[in-house]
Amino acid sequence: MRIKEILKQSLPLLITCGFGAIIAGNTLGAMVGLFKDIPGLIVVIPAVIALRGNISTALGSRLGSAYHLGIINAENMWNDDIKQNIIGSLFLSFSMSFIIGVIAYVTSLFFNVQPNPLLLILIVVVAGGISGLILTSLTIIIIYLVFKKGFDPDNITGPALATFGDIITMICIFQSALFFGGIF
Amino acid sequence: MIYSWKKIVRNGLPLLTICILIEVFGGQILQINQDKLLLFPILLISVPVINSVGGNIGSILGARLASGLHLGEIELTINDKNMQKNFFISLIIGLLTYLILSIIIYYISYFGNIKMNVNILSFVSIILGTGILLMVMISIISVLTAFLSFKKGLDPDDTVAPIVTTIGDTFGILFLFLLIGVVGI
Repeated sequence: MRIKEILKQSLPLLITCGFGAIIAGNTLGAMVGLFKDIPGLIVVIPAVIALRGNISTALGSRLGSAYHLGIINAENMWNDDIKQNIIGSLFLSFSMSFIIGVIAYVTSLFFNVQPNPLLLILIVVVAGGISGLILTSLTIIIIYLVFKKGFDPDNITGPALATFGDIITMICIFQSALFFGGIF
Repeated sequence: MIYSWKKIVRNGLPLLTICILIEVFGGQILQINQDKLLLFPILLISVPVINSVGGNIGSILGARLASGLHLGEIELTINDKNMQKNFFISLIIGLLTYLILSIIIYYISYFGNIKMNVNILSFVSIILGTGILLMVMISIISVLTAFLSFKKGLDPDDTVAPIVTTIGDTFGILFLFLLIGVVGI
């Protein structure tokens, strides 16, 4: 493939994903005050964003494979296989978010930062859990629409989830930190 | 029914835990430099952009190498011309993307009344410099992961993306602070 062709195919998508990341970044910029008030909060940001990306793209690609194997299709979406996939993703979202909170708290102690463990873990679990719920629903909706149109889900779900995922996750952390930061 | 949620959790847990440990390390680098980030919010805005572009380009390169290896168009040697071509194309695409996005971030911040404390030349130099280091590192890791996976009989499509995005996130943050020190703001 010639370089011009590769550029034409990938650059627009990369810039579009970049815009999604800029919106996520601006949410981060709006959290400056929260980072000052809640020690340890900034530590969880890369991990929560990466967790969301990993869990939802894995769900998307599993459902893509399930489609190619004929296990699910637009007429037969709501079966046991898709339910097991949803439960698995949600369980991973909640449990891994909890682990992020614990690791962020423990490692902060080594750097002489003293976060409030309960506050930090609550913020991460609620943000990770709610963004997990939203993104799992979004994945199912995208998959359904892609099936109906007859597109290959493998080409669509990855970039779409990467772009929306960062934004939704950042907004969830922002709101969760604002809410629990106000209580504690 | 071929899927079970317990199996999905069991398969996901080890890789996700390693990924989280590395990501929290990146988060600690952010916390150590928190004062600088709060003084220059434009740098905070750039963090997800640097990481997202790096991860995307590394994954694209990985997917292209995987297809090439599966089709037999790319051979498992450092001298393979096709691999080298893909390697350099991803460097060029990366640099162009970082250049365009850094200018966009600067003007969005400028018109959004975000505290800047940095001129456009310094800012673009920081992002572009970070991008160059990150792209070289990610592209090398992408090639190595794809080749090693393929050699071991694993599908590079499953391994390259999580590995380059995780390592890329942490090194993206590390290189950003390195460049902030070099450009000196």
